[in-house]
Amino acid sequence: MYGKIKKRSGIVRIAFLLMILLLLTGCWNNRDLTEINIVAGIGLDRTEDGKVLLTVQVVEPAAIQTVSSGKGKGGGAQPKPVFVESFEGETVFEAIRGILSIVDKRLFFSTAQVLILGERLLQKGMVEVLDFFQRENDINYGMNILVAKGVTPGEILEIENDMDSIPAVYIKETAENTVSRGTVKKTTLIDLIKDIDSGERQPAIGQITKAGDKEIRTEGVAVIKDEKLAGWLDPYETRGYMFAIGEVKSAIVNIPVDKGKIAMEIIRSKGKAKVRFENGEPSTLTIKVEVEANVGAYEGRGRLDSQDDLSILKEILKNEIKKEITQALEKAQKEYSSDIFGFGSYVHKYHPEYWKKVKKDWNDIFSKLPADIQVDVKVMRTGIIKSPVKKDE
Amino acid sequence: MFGYILKKIRYSALKRKNMSHDTATDKNYNEPLLPDLEKNLDVIKSILRDSSDVTVHEFNFGHDRRYKGALVFIDNMVDKEEIHKNILKPLMYDVLLLKKDVDMDFTKIDIIRKNLISVMDSQKVTLLADLLDSLLTGTTILLVDGSKEALAVNLRKWEARSIEEPGTEAVVRGPREGFNENANVSIALIRRKIKDPDLCIEKLKIGMRTKTDVYIVYLKSVANPKLIEEIRNRIGRIKIDAILESGYIEQFIEDAPYSIFPTVSNSEKPDKVVAKILEGRAAIVVDGTPFVLIVPMLFIESFQSGEDYYARPFLASIMRIIRFLSFIISTLGPAFYVALTVFHQELIPTQLLISIAAGRERVPFPAILEAGLMLFTFDVLREAGVRLPKPVGQTIGIVGALVLGQASVEAGLISPIMVIVVSSTAIASFAVPAQTDSGTILRYIYLGLAGIAGGFGVIMGLLATLLHLSSLRSFGVPYLWPVVPFNLSGIKDVFIRMPVWTMQKRPSVIIWDNIDSIRQSPGLMPSPYKEDKDDSK
Repeated sequence: MYGKIKKRSGIVRIAFLLMILLLLTGCWNNRDLTEINIVAGIGLDRTEDGKVLLTVQVVEPAAIQTVSSGKGKGGGAQPKPVFVESFEGETVFEAIRGILSIVDKRLFFSTAQVLILGERLLQKGMVEVLDFFQRENDINYGMNILVAKGVTPGEILEIENDMDSIPAVYIKETAENTVSRGTVKKTTLIDLIKDIDSGERQPAIGQITKAGDKEIRTEGVAVIKDEKLAGWLDPYETRGYMFAIGEVKSAIVNIPVDKGKIAMEIIRSKGKAKVRFENGEPSTLTIKVEVEANVGAYEGRGRLDSQDDLSILKEILKNEIKKEITQALEKAQKEYSSDIFGFGSYVHKYHPEYWKKVKKDWNDIFSKLPADIQVDVKVMRTGIIKSPVKKDE
Repeated sequence: MFGYILKKIRYSALKRKNMSHDTATDKNYNEPLLPDLEKNLDVIKSILRDSSDVTVHEFNFGHDRRYKGALVFIDNMVDKEEIHKNILKPLMYDVLLLKKDVDMDFTKIDIIRKNLISVMDSQKVTLLADLLDSLLTGTTILLVDGSKEALAVNLRKWEARSIEEPGTEAVVRGPREGFNENANVSIALIRRKIKDPDLCIEKLKIGMRTKTDVYIVYLKSVANPKLIEEIRNRIGRIKIDAILESGYIEQFIEDAPYSIFPTVSNSEKPDKVVAKILEGRAAIVVDGTPFVLIVPMLFIESFQSGEDYYARPFLASIMRIIRFLSFIISTLGPAFYVALTVFHQELIPTQLLISIAAGRERVPFPAILEAGLMLFTFDVLREAGVRLPKPVGQTIGIVGALVLGQASVEAGLISPIMVIVVSSTAIASFAVPAQTDSGTILRYIYLGLAGIAGGFGVIMGLLATLLHLSSLRSFGVPYLWPVVPFNLSGIKDVFIRMPVWTMQKRPSVIIWDNIDSIRQSPGLMPSPYKEDKDDSK
């Protein structure tokens, strides 16, 4: 009998412990799908008088369904798949709460595909604004960040076109296409927060512009220095930058040869940014890039399969890539003095003592260092034909 | 302490009730038969209260018809033709073939039995109670005037179902025969598969009014003697008026009566039962039902099918994994859907979230209520489908699929994704028939937890289930064996089914300390003929 009582108190104890666990839940707010507004894109900017301007693009699921299933074509206006609302506030949080005064349901931010920052916001610094995005539990850290050049985020989010019923998805997918071409950098929220926090690398954020009424274009990057916009890199410089940090996955590099133009397809690329040290002081910035390329298209005549041809090809491609990297590096050093390549993180990793001393002034030191750029090119294949249709006479 | 007092009070109340119960119903007929035929018949008639199906046939026999006898039997339970051929005819006519001067005292039952009756299965009875017992089970009673004994001749015959394919455990490959309501047939089916003198069949009679035959069937040299002793004890303590199905026995002998998980398994198929007997388990055959109980039961048995062992191991292994997945889907499907759509929308890919949201846009209920309603509807449909006669049952399917499925979606009462979730849950729940009741209950519990606390609640529920499962025992055997406690040789037959020639040992947990655990010789893996192989090996 005694044993039985003891056993029962054991069960009670376990049940009690399980009950305590219920108190440990952080955020268990129950919200039904019909009670939330699914946010697809967020835009952040400042107004002229310094207030935060929040723009959200919210999905109307029912409208999406009618658009995709083709129902309701009989008459009346097609319901719009998304709506865009803006609100001003002293802080981001105030704007987010305030926007509830004009929309019907709570905003749900986890689904946001893109966060578009305005130029004016970047000119004044973005750290205060980003703080909210770090604190809030609803935010997806993997969301893409883009900077709007020449337009406000609101204008970009209001673009509608037929390619995708949700414009934010269209923006995200376009940006991802460009990333694989190497002319825009993909920056996620967590990357940006990490870069700003560590100070080892200055962030470079992809750039987005309006191209006509219905399209956007994502090419180039915005260079940030000390949380403020320092300037822009054009698509070619961006590709040089992407080669240097090893993020080019597939890109087309056109090279001129005497027989015509050749489009080289980059199929694999590795890049490493290091700093060479002499006597405890940095002496040179080294960038080492390894590239594997195929011949994609050849606008000339004659065969391409001889070793000589290929070695010439390699040399030209090497110089072309080197030129792009040099341009990007020079711009980052001379014009913006912003270490977007992440040399700082190499210094921090291998020369921590030195890094501690110069952490504050690293961008200045960086901009004065000479650079050594090495590009190693391999041409793998020339396509499935050996020579073009038009033969050399 | 309080619990102790309560228990004591309850116990004594029960005891008092039990005692009064005993005196009221259990009349004792422990008196000997009288040498007077008339008186005996009067007593029997008065006890049976002149029931219309009790037939009493009085006759005279012997050379000069000086002996008086009577046959008592129950109509429709005996073979009248056989009675005529083997009892009446010998007594009345064949006796005339004996020489007149042969001196035989036909008031002695033994002499009648040995000289005249041509039936093998007959027994002497001296007590009124035994006589009634035999009579009521369908034996024919021969009473002779002047004898204090009676003869019980077994010439039973009644209408019974023949051996058919069982409805519950259909197989594609494997024997089709199933047990039937006659326990003797069931026992014979088992005996026909195991031709081993070790096969023991113990007979018990349970049920004060039904006097149902209950048989414990096991292999003496394989089964753990402690297990058999325990089964005997547990069945022996059943004091009940009626055993109508093996489920009665199951509920009296199971280890965890308040658990939703069964700790006694059952089957209608002789091959399955025999396989389990050969592993060291014991089967409990109950007269009047084709369902044979098998103890001890492991959780894993719910996911095994007899066919797993007849088919080649590859598909069998995949099917077993599919059964596990189905059990998970059938218990957790709606719960996960509710947890994800109500609490953790960020875990759903955005595109999917949008289409789920689009489907739910017009639904006026919260997700938990929606899921609960659909599950309830499904269970109603299932129950109605089982109970109704077959032609009407099809109507239920049409009404369920069209009216409830499609119309409720079109009316905007239920979201289309919920229909998909619930119907896949429903389909999955049929893949593991042995755990249907636990699965159904768990489904609602998890759904409730998901509605209250989302994924956290579901995980808590899962943990509690796991704790409970690992605490269960079935006749001393850990329910989750061989996973918990882990056993390498047993695990060969859990998630995948290894080839038969690799499973050399019987499940060690069931035979326990028995030495005879090897069931096949090692090295039986088939291979092509090899020239240099040593034959003497």
